[in-house]
Amino acid sequence: MAMRQTPLTCSGHTRPVVDLAFSGITPYGYFLISACKDGKPMLRQGDTGDWIGTFLGHKGAVWGATLNKDATKAATAAADFTAKVWDAVSGDELMTLAHKHIVKTVDFTQDSNYLLTGGQDKLLRIYDLNKPEADPKEISGHTSGIKKALWCSEDKQILSADDKTVRLWDHATMTEVKSLNFNMSVSSMEYIPEGEILVITYGRSIAFHSAVSLDPIKSFEAPATINSASLHPEKEFLVAGGEDFKLYKYDYNSGEELESYKGHFGPIHCVRFSPDGELYASGSEDGTLRLWQTVVGKTYGLWKCVLPEEDSGDLAKPKISFPETAEEELEEIASENSDSIYSSTPEVKA
Amino acid sequence: MLAEKNCPAPRAGVMALTLVIRPAWICSLFLPITSLHPVNDLASSSFSFLFGKMGLVQGPFLQGADSRAAETGRASQEKGQSQSPLYARIMQTPLTTTVPVLRLPRGPDGLSRGFAPDGRRAPLKPVVPEIPESQESRESQEQRARATLRERYLRSLLAMVGRQVSFTLHEGVHVTAHFGATDLDVANFYVSQLQTPIGVQAEALLRCSDIVSYTFKP
Repeated sequence: MAMRQTPLTCSGHTRPVVDLAFSGITPYGYFLISACKDGKPMLRQGDTGDWIGTFLGHKGAVWGATLNKDATKAATAAADFTAKVWDAVSGDELMTLAHKHIVKTVDFTQDSNYLLTGGQDKLLRIYDLNKPEADPKEISGHTSGIKKALWCSEDKQILSADDKTVRLWDHATMTEVKSLNFNMSVSSMEYIPEGEILVITYGRSIAFHSAVSLDPIKSFEAPATINSASLHPEKEFLVAGGEDFKLYKYDYNSGEELESYKGHFGPIHCVRFSPDGELYASGSEDGTLRLWQTVVGKTYGLWKCVLPEEDSGDLAKPKISFPETAEEELEEIASENSDSIYSSTPEVKA
Repeated sequence: MLAEKNCPAPRAGVMALTLVIRPAWICSLFLPITSLHPVNDLASSSFSFLFGKMGLVQGPFLQGADSRAAETGRASQEKGQSQSPLYARIMQTPLTTTVPVLRLPRGPDGLSRGFAPDGRRAPLKPVVPEIPESQESRESQEQRARATLRERYLRSLLAMVGRQVSFTLHEGVHVTAHFGATDLDVANFYVSQLQTPIGVQAEALLRCSDIVSYTFKP
């Protein structure tokens, strides 16, 4: 029996959510940070969406946010011309890195020793986090504001995207290795280390390139302008969201559109798969984050699988709750979807 | 309420209209079950706005919207659906249910910035290692016991200050007095209003070597 996707809505932000990032998998699970135009990035538990804390300190809209691999540090890029590094366990601000213009993107290296920043001043900066007072190394060359900058190839190279180009730089020599030109504005970029794949979205296209050579691998067209796309860690699916408020799920190998989900009340600005691939998160202009299951109906996080009365045979999950009748089961599902203060037992509701 | 789930199609239109004016929480129950929704998009977005303002969880309505939306997506994906969309949605209702959730994600508490110290990740402070019992020598164990006992005794002296204390001296002599202080070696007790068999002494010094025991009530 097919099940309908129940997205989990994470509330708390009051303005559009423009960026989100997952950490790696840590002994405590994995975490999610969201950047919002209200200037208050939030840290959440990755598998449930539970709010953990808010990083307070920025004086302008936060355009970019990232976590390091073990989720002990967070970095944010804001319109107040600073990038900040935070302790993700206590929420304290560790350092403020002043820039000359709006900062749009931040990225940690794998060992969390260096931070890459980029913004409207068209410069890439590399900060040594062990020596915060030292001046950063600067890479110039972009001719328009940098939207996204990422470490790649085990931090030996840097990928950066501005309005119409994507450039590959060598970290050691600080020089440009290769660049790609687009005739439409690049909206987002994602780097998949396993397989060295780069996901670039521009216009209605979702393009996949090799992160090493920037050679194109494949590309898909979506029905509407796409703002962000993410590839599943096992490279089976990709999800994309954009201006039509819908989230699209494609099969990566065939390019076939598998699903589309409506639910957001505004354009989707960012979409990311979790590090284990079990869910993906989307951030939207409506100020919410939503968590969506990759495999709909699977028990994971807050989603709970309940077998229907007639066993279809292919659902091999153990039954967790035992409602007496089908009607009561549906009532319980309805009450499960509402606030816990409403639901106690089905009888009370009727 | 249970019976209405099985209502035939023609009544669906009436139900859809009445949903608009019913209280919001009843709508939240109907929406996932019947998959019939307010008539137009404006109503649905105003409902979600209302939920947000009322501080109710956004989940029920928005998930209802998703189910409507997901079904619309499915309906649009299906080829050869020439019937009305409403009919198509009703026909799909018995076949799909929404994935149940345990609860909704917790949001900010509105009071603090979070990062609870007793949360899932307490700050990783270096723990002072406790010396295991077996490694400690008997001498240091004895030393610690002595230190603890002395501390307790000194605290008892502090508690005694200003109180009525009755002393038992040698040869069965009992005296009472207000305790004042003791000297550094606890060799003498400074007392006042000492009541002796031959009178009351305003101030006196009692030699501790003369005292067999003393008692007081705190």
